[in-house]
Amino acid sequence: MTTESGAPAHHWETSWAPLAVVAGTFFLFPLTFIAYFVYDSLFLTAIFAGIGTPLLIAGIAKWVNEGLAYKNIVEGAAVPGMSIFIFSEALVFLALFVGYWMIHLKADTWPPEGTPAIGSAVPILMTLVLVVSSFTMQRGEAKLEAGDRGGFVNSLIVTMVLGALFLGLSLYEYNHLLGLGFGTSANAFSSAFYTLTGFHAAHVLVGLGIFAAMLIPALGGRTNKTFVRCAALYWHFVVVVSFFVVPQVYFW
Amino acid sequence: MSPHTSTADAGFSLKEWIFTTDHKRVGVLYLFGSMAAFTVAGTMAMLIRIELANIGPQLVESGTQYNQWLYFHGAAMILAFLIPGLTGFAANYFLPILIGARDVAFPRINALSVWLFYSAIILALIGIAVPDSPDIMWTGYPPYSINTDANTALYVFTVLLLGFSSILGAVNFLVTVIYMRAPGMGWNQLNMFVWTTIAAFLLQLIFIPVLASAMILLLFDKYLGTHFFDPAAGGDVLLYQNLFWFYSHPAVYVIFLPAMGILFEVIATMGKNRIFNYKACVYGGVGGLVLISGLVWVHHLFVSGMPDWIRIGQMVTTLLISVPVGLMALSLWGTLYKASITYNTAMMYAAACLFLLLIGGLTGIPLALTPLTVNLTETSFIYAHFHFIMGIFATFALFSGIYYWFPKMTGRFAEGKLATIGFWLNLTGVNVTFWPLFIIGVRGMPRRYFDYEMFPEFEPYHQVATLGAFMVAVAMALTIGNWIYSAFAGDKAPRNPWGSKSLEWTHAPSPPGPGNFPEDVVVDKDWTPYDYNK
Amino acid sequence: MKKPLPPLLFMAGVLLASLPALAGEGEIPNPAAGWDALWNEVMIDLLAIGAIFGIAAAYMLIKYRAKSPTDVGSGPKLSKAQAVGWALIPVAIFLADDFYLGANGWSLWNDYRRIPENAMEVKVTGYQWYWEFEYENGVVTDELTVPVGRPVVLRMTSEDVIHSFGMPKYRVTEDLMPGRITYIWFNPVEAGETVATCREFCGLAHANMYTTVIALPPVEFEEWMAGEKAEAEEGETEAEGEKD
Ligand code: HEA
Ligand code: HEA
Ligand code: CUA
Ligand SMILES: [Cu+2]
Repeated sequence: MTTESGAPAHHWETSWAPLAVVAGTFFLFPLTFIAYFVYDSLFLTAIFAGIGTPLLIAGIAKWVNEGLAYKNIVEGAAVPGMSIFIFSEALVFLALFVGYWMIHLKADTWPPEGTPAIGSAVPILMTLVLVVSSFTMQRGEAKLEAGDRGGFVNSLIVTMVLGALFLGLSLYEYNHLLGLGFGTSANAFSSAFYTLTGFHAAHVLVGLGIFAAMLIPALGGRTNKTFVRCAALYWHFVVVVSFFVVPQVYFW
Repeated sequence: MSPHTSTADAGFSLKEWIFTTDHKRVGVLYLFGSMAAFTVAGTMAMLIRIELANIGPQLVESGTQYNQWLYFHGAAMILAFLIPGLTGFAANYFLPILIGARDVAFPRINALSVWLFYSAIILALIGIAVPDSPDIMWTGYPPYSINTDANTALYVFTVLLLGFSSILGAVNFLVTVIYMRAPGMGWNQLNMFVWTTIAAFLLQLIFIPVLASAMILLLFDKYLGTHFFDPAAGGDVLLYQNLFWFYSHPAVYVIFLPAMGILFEVIATMGKNRIFNYKACVYGGVGGLVLISGLVWVHHLFVSGMPDWIRIGQMVTTLLISVPVGLMALSLWGTLYKASITYNTAMMYAAACLFLLLIGGLTGIPLALTPLTVNLTETSFIYAHFHFIMGIFATFALFSGIYYWFPKMTGRFAEGKLATIGFWLNLTGVNVTFWPLFIIGVRGMPRRYFDYEMFPEFEPYHQVATLGAFMVAVAMALTIGNWIYSAFAGDKAPRNPWGSKSLEWTHAPSPPGPGNFPEDVVVDKDWTPYDYNK
Repeated sequence: MKKPLPPLLFMAGVLLASLPALAGEGEIPNPAAGWDALWNEVMIDLLAIGAIFGIAAAYMLIKYRAKSPTDVGSGPKLSKAQAVGWALIPVAIFLADDFYLGANGWSLWNDYRRIPENAMEVKVTGYQWYWEFEYENGVVTDELTVPVGRPVVLRMTSEDVIHSFGMPKYRVTEDLMPGRITYIWFNPVEAGETVATCREFCGLAHANMYTTVIALPPVEFEEWMAGEKAEAEEGETEAEGEKD
């Protein structure tokens, strides 16, 4: 690790944030899932989630806090890093799509029996919401670049509201479809439908989490341009993915 | 070297280790984790070999216990021992130093990766303890993995955690190599180990997402009632196999490439020789392998009822892999030509690897030929093939690397009688173990069988194999014991005991302190890590 | 760049020579024998490659030991032309060998997949953990009995998880999957018994999922079949009798 002058540091760098994030993740996802779905134990589920959530949040908070002050060895390396990561993410979606195609193309009739008529108004509205949020995010970034922190915070809040609106509409849509008896296990289409849209919605949720981690310090006057750039890249990616998800699952 | 950056740090501090973000310490944590996985998975292998030594149940009452051992053995050896050992330990510790960097691009993400790896190991170990241990083999094919009462979720999450860890590692190391090379260091001056490692990371980056999606679909099918792999409801059982092998074939090159990289380092250093035809090896060999590795996965589905044209098409692409691998082999062999070889333990392991590569690699060729595979598939021929190329060749290459870099990491040698005996016993043991399995494999000994009453004539072969496995176990115990002993009490080593020209030896103290180098590294235009003889 | 030409020509020749059209017509091929022939050929090929590389390695490992600790290697620094040559020529040779093997593999594969016209059909179903064989006349057995001299095609599927039907003697294996039908065929040229094992992991008793494949001379086969049929009909009438 280098100090700013480029001379070597004389001590071992440490941070407890990564370990806390992993421990939180470990409890909150694998263990909670297994406790609930495999061992049907609400008690264990609550305990694991109860341990995992604060650990994860503490880890992320610590990380963000350090990250705002941290000077990378290479200035702005996080931006290409994020781009490479997004490339990998895109391939997860591609693989899920391939699964969907294999099932769809093999089927004699599509959608298969047991699929209710799914309206296309809500998904179009949802996509529009996301597209607008991409622009508001872009504007926020420009504001920050111009040194207008207040404008940045406002745009960020608008973006987050739009993202939350998207999730709300998703829930509304899911609820509606579940009411029609179209659950995850209804047929092969419902499997793909919930997996693709759910996976995309999960990305929106993560995006909101990232924004929250940006917003809270920004309210206290601390921002980091590289961080904002990366978050914006991620968000644009999530928006672009919806251009693939929506036509595929609703209109094909 | 200036004293203040030298090795001596003020004693051992647990906090400095578990909260570390230093790439070398992260690397050492990877080494400990992967060796732990190796020991447990190796113990499982011994139980497997004892079970197979004679016809009839030996240690187990039914197949399930055996299947759980075999599941753990396969999954842990590949995912928790070799991949983390090579791309976790070796790459973390040495790649930044080899390119003259002070750390990786994102040190805290690096720490995140290693702890994700540990959490996956913990999850796998939990899998041994629970009553419903996974028994689904490391391939986890549905519908079995969905129908079984066993805990498939443990398998899925173990793989997902490791996958996420590897993707983050890949992002980290690609950015590191692209942006953090020492001033003056061009692409054609990189160590072979750097090239092979970033190629491996590139493969991880491209292919893990596919594995991850297979795992997610499996999880949903089993626990959320979806129907991706259920033909009765419009799904397809082969979808999983295609997604799984689309990753898991390239995964074998994630192991193979860094293993080759280590051999290049060891042979070039011990032979004091330049890499033969470096550019052909890098661009043709490493690059070619990356390019075609994604086009051959169907050779694991040769008897799965895939359309004939795909089976033939991928027979040809699989055969073509011998071309880039052949180029790499040619460079490796060529590096011996007119070399000036000094033998030590690292070099002995490397020398053995040349022959192991031939045995393991060339036995892949009949498997690549679709009409031959129809009689060899799922027999002990398969596991003899992949133990030679992976379980032995790649493991020996990793061991070669550990011996080679041992003085750098600890400031001490791990040479001596124990090391030599360990090596010869290991080499003998693996050959005694796996040659008989080739022979009975061709004659039809199925794999994943805890018993084989239908083939009584194979019993003597299995007995020989078990005998060999015991030799290996003793050799491994000696080897690992020797490392632990030498780390504390081995002979002191100078900074560059092998007279290497590579940066980790010429510019960094042993062991390197925080920041790796006392002074910033700058290299000349015509510097290479192999310029012994200008 | 004259050198790679001969291997290229050789390659083209091999490709032509192996065109499936040239395979003998009329006669029933025997893939199992073809397997042995190809296996031997491949073994010779691989032993040759292995020997060349292996001997070269052993020779250099011994010959180029350091004479003194200060010695350095003197491996050649290749000129551009040499470097290209040392890449392209080996590539051409490796490619030639790959195409040679591939062409041979392809023609044998055609034998494996082309079902002879007079083949007897048997339906095979895999269950955890046993096999079920159903003949054209409806007879169902748990061992496979076939007549010598007549090719047999197995149409296979599974009712639960994936299994795989492997017969080392006839050098064939293919998976049985729910929701798909796969096939293999084989040519029992002489009488005798052999074992068929399950070759895809299917759980608890995967290792016990084996059966016997019996090839009988045609006359004996007819007798056996008649017996089975009679038994089956008897069973049916009995069952019907019980119902009444
Ligand atoms: C490190 C791991 C590793 C590596 C490097 C390889 C390398 C190769 N493997 Fe292997 N393989 C596995 C690990 C590995 N494999 C595993 C784990 C399995 C089983 C998985 C399971 O089912 O559990 C498997 C299974 C497997 C199968 C499936 C068998 C089956 O299930 O039916 C096939 C089929 O084609 C195959 C082929 C090959 C080939 C062609 C190579 C080639 O890359 C080899 C190339 C090398 C050489 C050829 C030698 C050197 C080259 C020369 C000297 C040049 C000249 C040579 C020629 C011109 C031929 N392997
Ligand atoms: C890196 C990969 C790797 C490595 C190194 C090994 C190492 C070994 N493997 Fe493994 N193996 C696999 C990867 C590997 N294997 C895979 C992927 C499978 C397929 C799984 C599947 O089908 O799904 C498999 C399957 C497999 C089988 C097939 C079983 C079957 O299909 O029914 C067998 C049987 O002989 C076997 C044996 C061994 C042995 C004896 C060793 C030995 O070399 C191990 C020696 C090491 C040790 C023993 C540990 C260290 C020793 C000590 C610390 C000393 C103290 C310990 C004792 C004395 C017990 N392995
Ligand atoms: Cu049926 Cu294995
Ligand atoms: Cu493969």
